[in-house]
Amino acid sequence: MPFISQFQRQSDYNLFSPTTPIVIDNGASYFRIGWAGETEPRVVFRNIVQRPRHKVTGETVTIVGDHNPALMKYFDCTRSGPRSAFDSNVVYQFEIMEYILDFGFDRMGANGLEIDHPVLITECVCNPVQSRSKMAELLFETYGVPSIAFGVDAAFSYKYNQHHGVCNKDGLAMCPGFTTTHVIPFVDGEPVYKGCCRTNIGGYHVTDHLKQLLSLKYPYHLARFTWEKVEDLKMEHCYIAQDYASEAQLFRRGGKEAEEKTRCWQLPWVPPPTEEPPSEEEIARKAAIRERQGQRLREMAEAKRSSRINELENELHGLEFLLQQLDQVEESDIPSFLSDTGYVSKQEIESARAKVTQSLRKAKGEPKSDQAETERADSANSEKYSLINIPDETLTPEQLVEKKKQLALKSMSEGRQRSKQKRYEEEMQRERRLQLEEEKRLENPELYLEQLHAKYKDLSEKVDQRKRLKTNGNHTNGNNLSGGVGRGERLNAAQRERMRLLTTAAFDRGKGEDTFGARDEDWHLYKLMSRDNDDDDEGPDEDEAELARISSRLQDLDPTFVPKLDTGNAQSAEAVPRSRPLTKEDFQIIFGVERFRCPEILFNPNWIGVDQVGLDEMAGVSIRRLPDKDESLEERLTDSILVTGGSSVFPGMIKRLEAAIRMIRPCGSPIRVVRALDPVLDAWRGASAYASASLFHTQTFSRADYYEKGEDWLRGYQLKYTI
Amino acid sequence: MEPEVVEAEIVLPTYLSFKRVQTYEKYPKGQSRGRHWKHLKQIIQSENYSNYPPDEPTYVSIESPPSMHPCKRICDITGFEAPYYDPRTKLRYANAEVFRTVRSLPNEYVQKYLAMRNAAVVLK
Repeated sequence: MPFISQFQRQSDYNLFSPTTPIVIDNGASYFRIGWAGETEPRVVFRNIVQRPRHKVTGETVTIVGDHNPALMKYFDCTRSGPRSAFDSNVVYQFEIMEYILDFGFDRMGANGLEIDHPVLITECVCNPVQSRSKMAELLFETYGVPSIAFGVDAAFSYKYNQHHGVCNKDGLAMCPGFTTTHVIPFVDGEPVYKGCCRTNIGGYHVTDHLKQLLSLKYPYHLARFTWEKVEDLKMEHCYIAQDYASEAQLFRRGGKEAEEKTRCWQLPWVPPPTEEPPSEEEIARKAAIRERQGQRLREMAEAKRSSRINELENELHGLEFLLQQLDQVEESDIPSFLSDTGYVSKQEIESARAKVTQSLRKAKGEPKSDQAETERADSANSEKYSLINIPDETLTPEQLVEKKKQLALKSMSEGRQRSKQKRYEEEMQRERRLQLEEEKRLENPELYLEQLHAKYKDLSEKVDQRKRLKTNGNHTNGNNLSGGVGRGERLNAAQRERMRLLTTAAFDRGKGEDTFGARDEDWHLYKLMSRDNDDDDEGPDEDEAELARISSRLQDLDPTFVPKLDTGNAQSAEAVPRSRPLTKEDFQIIFGVERFRCPEILFNPNWIGVDQVGLDEMAGVSIRRLPDKDESLEERLTDSILVTGGSSVFPGMIKRLEAAIRMIRPCGSPIRVVRALDPVLDAWRGASAYASASLFHTQTFSRADYYEKGEDWLRGYQLKYTI
Repeated sequence: MEPEVVEAEIVLPTYLSFKRVQTYEKYPKGQSRGRHWKHLKQIIQSENYSNYPPDEPTYVSIESPPSMHPCKRICDITGFEAPYYDPRTKLRYANAEVFRTVRSLPNEYVQKYLAMRNAAVVLK
């Protein structure tokens, strides 16, 4: 990570004489403060302020910069996020700026009554005078600074590199920063702001773009993409493609090279416990257990059966014995003899015997002989229904009762016979129809199939229509497949009608005289309202049965036939994603194209909706804007292009810029693009070197100057970089 | 406060000896101050740049012009070159496969993709 905050409190503040200036690089992303003449800033921290509440005491505290995230757990940050004093690259919230300066001076070790050192602080190119004067006021009034100088960070960086021989006194400084990108032409070592241009795009936008792309690509891991994490990812993995189109093509084709360039971030993931497949032994053991259980059940069933057979046989024997005994007993003694057996007549005993024999046969598993039974029934009929044909007058009252009973029995058995007959006839008819159809098919198979298809279509339409009516009522909007799932859509017609009746009943109050119930028909309403009314499942009706028959027949005959599925079901089955166990791959964040797509917005700002020229074209714009120039100056400018600023550290930046600027410049013109020695810290170092110069005091202005000369003068104030 | 918080000195002290006016004096507690700052747009407006001589560089005049090059269109989802444009969602896409994704995206995501290039429908 190139940016590391350092904010240990310095202890040597009092060792510096009041003439030693304090140098501040007030960048939109980082705040750097240190002593003039030194090569490193003393204190560096992110230029943000948080005002959370302390969880225990409940007081609102101020926290400047980025701190150990572990300590932030004592604070409630939900009400206030990190705030910056910058809008674009201009300081606009001076309350936040004050907290930041407080923290900066405090960490420098300041402990006097005021900051008794001249201050050199950076600002953006052409800073609006309002922001500049507010900053001066803050420094003079609150901190008691004796004198101030404002300078531009990119210019300091250029001067610093010029001193180290990296670039010439005529040249271009290209500075892609955090919120904006500047190109400043230098002529004779002085920046020419007339030729300057600014595009409102920078590292902030790159990170933001990457963050948005990743959150859209992996919505499930949204919480992982914090600003800090994405910033780290950008610095570690992003690069600038030499040619975006061909690089993208490379990834589109796939292949080894693209794979090598693809980075993968594995999020912490714990594999779910895997179920081991059961071993052979286990399977065998389970099968054995099952087998044993089955055996036991079979044995139990067998025992039960045999005991039942035994029981039935005993009963049969008893009954037969009873009948034998009954034969020997006198007619008149029968009732007294039977009284202790529980039977009333001989017939009853006989019927009981018949029943027992039948169950015995069933228990033993012998087939029931229907035929024999009916024959026997025929023969038995005459004696069973002996009283039916005798006229009533000749019978005793008991016999009359018996006759009635016999009549009922007879009609019942006859009814059974009839229904059996009917079923048989139906079977025959169906058989005949099938035969007929078969004949027809054999006669002309094509025609037959065609007819069948037509019939199938007709019927299926009819059934569909019925279904739709049932579920959709009168709303046949045609597209009930994609339609909404409002309340009305979910109820069927009957249910909806009930709802309507209920609501009208509920709200039909206070309309004149209430005459409900005066007429009998009013009470029918309750019947309609009752829940029993919506008989949903009438069972498959005739049409559906016929449809099923035809479709099965078609399936038999026509191999190409596919029965129409229930469309509603089919769609829902398709729409519901099959849930599967999460794998390691689900917790991987893959960067492929994103690695160079995000920094590419520096060259194509319109990709994120900023309608301005990109970094490469800015060089051309800047040269074009420069007043009184000639060809040799232009050549000198392009011969010394310095790239500085935090966003210039992307790998591939220099090569790409050189190629792109070569395209917009005349053929043969010299082009040299160099990276600053340290694109991030050079601005502070340049400012430090500048402030340590003996003539620095000529470039500052004091509190008295500020109040005497007024705002107009402050607007025109400009540092001379060559002193 | 917890000892480690105090030790790390992450909380800015309310009293600092080197300040002439302390923060709590400048911004007393419990007094609603309203908004006491201007956004950049308002700052620029109040600068009255139109009154300046035309050749003087200002914050507004140094702004870059729109690009002269034809805009490279890339697929909103994959980042590949996008020859196609979906009139329904207004997203650009690279091929049929991406088109399928585009059409299956919920509107919320479509709007987020569009918002990335400042082309989303903004309801006010």
